[in-house]
Amino acid sequence: MSVDVARSPTTTRAEAPGAPSRPPKEFDRPRFLKLFTGVFFLFLFAPIVLVVLFSFNSSRSLQDFEGFSLRWYEQFFESESLRDSLIASIEIALITMLIATVLGTMLAYGLVRARTRWSDSFNVLMLIPLVTPEIVAGVSALLLFTQVGLELSVTTIVLAHITFSISYVTVVVRARLASLSLEVEEASMDLGATRWQTFRLVTLPALWPAVLAAGLLVFALSFDDFVLSFFTTGESPQPLPVRIWTQIRFGVRPTINAIGSFMLVVSVLSIGLALLIPRLFGRRESGLKVLLGREGA
Amino acid sequence: MSESRFASAFLLPGALWLLLLFVVPVGFVLALSFGYTDDLGEAFYGTRLDNYERVFDPAFVPVLLRSVGFALATVVLCLLIGYPVAYYIAIFGGRWKNVLIALVVLPFFVNYLIRTYAWIAMLGDDGLVNGVLNSDIRFLNTPWAVIGGLVYGFLVFMILPIFAALDRMDPSLIEAGKDLYGSPWQTFRNVTLPHTIQGVLAGSVLVFLPAVGDFVSASMLGGPEEVMVGNLIQQQFLASDNWPFGAALTSVMMLFLLVWMVLYLRAAAREAREAPA
Amino acid sequence: MSENSPAIRFEGVTKRFGDFVAVDSLDLEIKSGEFFSLLGPSGCGKTTTLRMVAGFEQPSEGRIFLEGEPVETVPPYRRNVNTVFQSYALFEHLSIEDNVAFGLKRRKVEKDEIRRRVAEALELVELHGRGGVRPRELSGGQKQRVALARALVNRPSVLLLDEPLGALDLKLRKQMQVELKGIQREVGITFLYVTHDQEEALAMSDRIAVMDRGLIRQCGTPEDIYEHPTEPFVAGFIGVSNLLPGVCENGGVRLAGGAVCEARVPADCTSGAEVQLSVRPEKIAIDEEIGEGMVTVEGTIVERVYVGTSTQVIVELAAGVRLMALEQNWLRARSDDRWEIGDRVKLGWQPEHALVLR
Repeated sequence: MSVDVARSPTTTRAEAPGAPSRPPKEFDRPRFLKLFTGVFFLFLFAPIVLVVLFSFNSSRSLQDFEGFSLRWYEQFFESESLRDSLIASIEIALITMLIATVLGTMLAYGLVRARTRWSDSFNVLMLIPLVTPEIVAGVSALLLFTQVGLELSVTTIVLAHITFSISYVTVVVRARLASLSLEVEEASMDLGATRWQTFRLVTLPALWPAVLAAGLLVFALSFDDFVLSFFTTGESPQPLPVRIWTQIRFGVRPTINAIGSFMLVVSVLSIGLALLIPRLFGRRESGLKVLLGREGA
Repeated sequence: MSESRFASAFLLPGALWLLLLFVVPVGFVLALSFGYTDDLGEAFYGTRLDNYERVFDPAFVPVLLRSVGFALATVVLCLLIGYPVAYYIAIFGGRWKNVLIALVVLPFFVNYLIRTYAWIAMLGDDGLVNGVLNSDIRFLNTPWAVIGGLVYGFLVFMILPIFAALDRMDPSLIEAGKDLYGSPWQTFRNVTLPHTIQGVLAGSVLVFLPAVGDFVSASMLGGPEEVMVGNLIQQQFLASDNWPFGAALTSVMMLFLLVWMVLYLRAAAREAREAPA
Repeated sequence: MSENSPAIRFEGVTKRFGDFVAVDSLDLEIKSGEFFSLLGPSGCGKTTTLRMVAGFEQPSEGRIFLEGEPVETVPPYRRNVNTVFQSYALFEHLSIEDNVAFGLKRRKVEKDEIRRRVAEALELVELHGRGGVRPRELSGGQKQRVALARALVNRPSVLLLDEPLGALDLKLRKQMQVELKGIQREVGITFLYVTHDQEEALAMSDRIAVMDRGLIRQCGTPEDIYEHPTEPFVAGFIGVSNLLPGVCENGGVRLAGGAVCEARVPADCTSGAEVQLSVRPEKIAIDEEIGEGMVTVEGTIVERVYVGTSTQVIVELAAGVRLMALEQNWLRARSDDRWEIGDRVKLGWQPEHALVLR
């Protein structure tokens, strides 16, 4: 659908043509949109605020805030089994982050630089996990481990998480890699560096903010993951989201508020770092753009 | 070592992992769907179509239809809510654009379970809303509660692609459109919408796919009348131990979604090829 | 390495990309210490040729020899050549110094010597003292010098330059051309230079190979190429030339429109053969300037263009047959002083300045 609008810049604007951040003045009832967005944010944050607020509630009630207290956090951290779950969640997220980042980065490099007949197929292979519903992922992982005779445990969770994190890393890293000119790598080889040295000394240094951002993204996703973990977890320790599920099934418990708020802080910190780090290292694009890269077109 | 060989060596570990731990297991699921269970509940591979027949049994068809229906409703609602918000932030956000979009994304880093649980806390019979209004309204265990949970759960996947598409648009296109078309609605329909259609499609697929297979919202916010195919599958594998039937359900769902997946991947690949340098 | 072997030798080199032939049976020898240019329009194969010398592409057929040694099995990082890229291709995460030192470090040169040679190289390109700076803080011209220093510091036997001045503005480009030529003379390294700018090639090169669609059309010194093009393509590509289609006719060329010009017809040109008559505008005399022994034609002035240093006078000899003559404006400052559109004029040139090409 072509709109030849671009050929008729008939408007004269007071501001310079390249000033996209000044909102166009006379348009489309911005007041309605503004209101709508405001209400939207209200509904968006209401449950979150509720959870965080009531995590500090001194009573069990979800209706009345009766006073500030840290008892639910105490209960959370004093429970040995919950602590074990927290540690398990962090371990899983860390290992997943490390391995998925390495495999995903290498895969991104291979996809961008290798020119084989299989390149397109590998590309599709890499994209499929991104659009596969988690339940399919969970079921197939469960089936695999059963077939192979692997007992469900933290290990199986890690294996499943890695499988579904690789693609996130590849997408983020590939976007960055595609913008690195091939000529720079050729220059490196021209000057005497082997392909491996070139990767180590030239490509990787230019790539690492994206790699790090992808890694932190994977950490947050793994830490928060429920469905996949649900299908592949063993008896104990179970990662936090699975514990939350069981606790909720058995009735509403205020400790959940504390756990949820704590998890929120951890996730926000990792994502915050993931967004900031590319920026901090002098990249022109914001971290958000690095992450959005290809995803979501 | 030639470049291609070097790069291929890099590609192999990740590709192998995906093949062995993703493609092969999905193959197992497909294979098991033709299997059966014995009296002890043990699952075996076979060549039977019983499970597929059962999937389309009148008892289960409503579940399938409901899943698609809920997912569609979710997509529509996400679109109706998400587009205006994305539009406001992209076009009117100004300096605050990035902050606002970060604020949109932020709640999604609260665990999905917790977020859904928060709605229970708010809308439950003993929840905040009923407490504040001193009422007895039944919010939960209704279809709209489940859809609401789904919308709340996946809204960000609709907003981000649309925001990205709007943000990439040249603002002078809208200006020029206003000149050409006069009314804001016409401008939107003829200029903005076509330019952002890729984002809308991407968002729709990214919401639809997980929504169809979701079981958390239905489980926590709905009752027996709101069971979705995800709940069924989960039950087969983790409760009733009827894995072949679960596999068949999963396969049917997968095949249904495959169509949409392929369309999305094709559109994404096309966009990648046409992407401006 | 024998003293007499050429710096680069191409033997029947062909490069194909699928069905497309980028370079077609190239045979060429580039002498040691030469400033040699590959000149031609986009897509003529000059860059591909350069990349084959560097090692980034492998010939589909034929062999390439560097200093007498064949290089098919030698990867780019082991060839004694270095490249200066059009996009500079500097390492953004390293300082200028580290950029220049990169090649030396790969070869495990001693730290002290690295420092010394890097300083030398930076001085050669007049960037002395800015070693600690990052590439993004430099201008285009400065980045190009860093790229040059980074390549030269390794003392390669051949320096490959791929349209290095393409991204610079005109003034800077002219300045860099002079500098590059000076550096090449000073350092004495063989330069293989790729460009589509014929003025640049003429100004800098010892020899030029004019390429078109994978083939070398003519190879020779700048004067050779300019004054004695052997093909219409070369005549048209180098400088401005009048190319008039015509037919051979005993000792001359009959132009479309009837006029017959006496010209040096090559021996293998039979009567009736279709040829092109090539005359450079600056070699054409108008009216009073016509000297003895010149070949003359007559025509009507249809256009005059004042271009500062000279005036282009466009004369129509017959329908559709036009000639451009160039008159230096050393006698006058206005073009309408002398030439009126519609005037009949006589044009003339020395017979040896008109070439019959096919």
